[in-house]
Amino acid sequence: MIQRHQRIVFWCLVVCIVGMGVLLAVERQRGRQRIAALADDDQTPLDAPTAMAETVTLDLANDGDGSIAPASRQIALPEDPNARARALIDHLIAEYALPGSAHALPPGAAVAEVFLVPLPLVGYTTDSTSSATKDGGFRATVPVAQSDPDPVQAKQPGGELAVIDLHSTFVNQHPSGVEVESLTLRSILGTLHANLPQIEQVRFLVDGQARETLAGHADLLRTYPAVDTTSSGSAASQGRSN
Amino acid sequence: MTTMGRAQVAEPAAAPPAQKSAPSRPATAPSKPAATPVRHAAPSSPSVPAPIPINRTVIVLDPAHGGVDSGSQISDTTVEKNVTLALAFRLRSLLTARGFTVVMTREADAPAVPNAAGSAMTLDDRAGIANHAHAAACLVLHATPSGSGVHLYRSELGASEGQPTVVPWLTAQAAWIPQSQLLANQMAAAFSRSGLALIASNASVRPIDSLTCPALVVELAPSGDDADSINDTDYQQRVALTIAGELVSWQNQVQPPARLAAAPSATVVQATPSDAAGAQP
Repeated sequence: MIQRHQRIVFWCLVVCIVGMGVLLAVERQRGRQRIAALADDDQTPLDAPTAMAETVTLDLANDGDGSIAPASRQIALPEDPNARARALIDHLIAEYALPGSAHALPPGAAVAEVFLVPLPLVGYTTDSTSSATKDGGFRATVPVAQSDPDPVQAKQPGGELAVIDLHSTFVNQHPSGVEVESLTLRSILGTLHANLPQIEQVRFLVDGQARETLAGHADLLRTYPAVDTTSSGSAASQGRSN
Repeated sequence: MTTMGRAQVAEPAAAPPAQKSAPSRPATAPSKPAATPVRHAAPSSPSVPAPIPINRTVIVLDPAHGGVDSGSQISDTTVEKNVTLALAFRLRSLLTARGFTVVMTREADAPAVPNAAGSAMTLDDRAGIANHAHAAACLVLHATPSGSGVHLYRSELGASEGQPTVVPWLTAQAAWIPQSQLLANQMAAAFSRSGLALIASNASVRPIDSLTCPALVVELAPSGDDADSINDTDYQQRVALTIAGELVSWQNQVQPPARLAAAPSATVVQATPSDAAGAQP
């Protein structure tokens, strides 16, 4: 014979079990609704590619003969020019991290950020009027303050300076040597020039700070011109200068 | 990097008369960059200045790195600073035997500023030593474990029409680019005749852009797959012999760049010492 107090305890436990089951079901449903709501929103990263893959030119370096040769790749790139420049460099460095690369570099993220700044640098801003838009969609710049007497000038309307902020982890692991460091920089310059022709000049930072050299040799304090750095392009430019 | 080095500087060719003829010994190594801060009076007439003097028997060797800056790790037992110094000593012997006076920016592991014991030498100090010598050629020596043979570089600066009265420190090499390119071409031909693997290109490696002489970066790479082959005495001797042999013929070919006349508007350059000290590139 089951005593009365035991029956009371039994039915209380049953009620608790059923109640907890209902609570669990309700919370589960709420969790599903939250996940569905997140999926409905556009939460993709800003620099994630939103377009179809396109053909880009990567200027690939070769330590064996010190050359730089263009190579075509199908890559999906974001629309934003800053993110586009960063994605290009990331793909370039990723190529060098592959086994058997002719210019072996350590794997990992190389670029923290790329900033495209309109030229000339001081006291100017972009002109947002439609009449100031040049061929290719580049916008002209207009002075907004007393201009620098000797500012860095753009060669073409809409010319930009790219400030590339490198990760110190990448720089600290970069192989040391005049040739290997120069090839890395020339490869980046050539790739930007080939795919983003509005970039005329390039400066490098490391973790947001100016740094003297890449790995003890190549100068990171100067402003580099974004030009064709392939072997044929360099030969042509040397011929012109001489 | 010194503030001095970053300031806009006057062209260093305002040398004492004794240096206008090739001396048997180089100028005393300076304690600061050769170029001095701007302090020019307005020219009375736009006459073309005298040519820049060159000591045709003087060669500057800059064994890169030194002290706490070891440079690249060539192998488990070899660092770059030791290789560059060894190659510099070898080159100095060969050049001295050929009648040259060799100015070295360091002769021991740790470079030190002359007349300033204990001070670490900056890259601008090295450029200052080189510029004071008015040398026929300045060679910046490096070493690397990557690649093979010899890598030869001149500055990436574009050539200018001549050397202005006031030379920006960071682009002082621009007036000498044609001479540097000519030296690079002849040196490359010499290496080719010697059967040494060669890569010739342009690079931006400090302090070459601040040198006022025909300047090259000579980077020594291993002779083969073994990185330690860079220490091979026979290999280093071949490289040094090639360089020394080419410099013998170069000393009779080197020509100073034209000096540009000061613009009449130079009256604005009535710089005070504080102006010069605060000048920025």
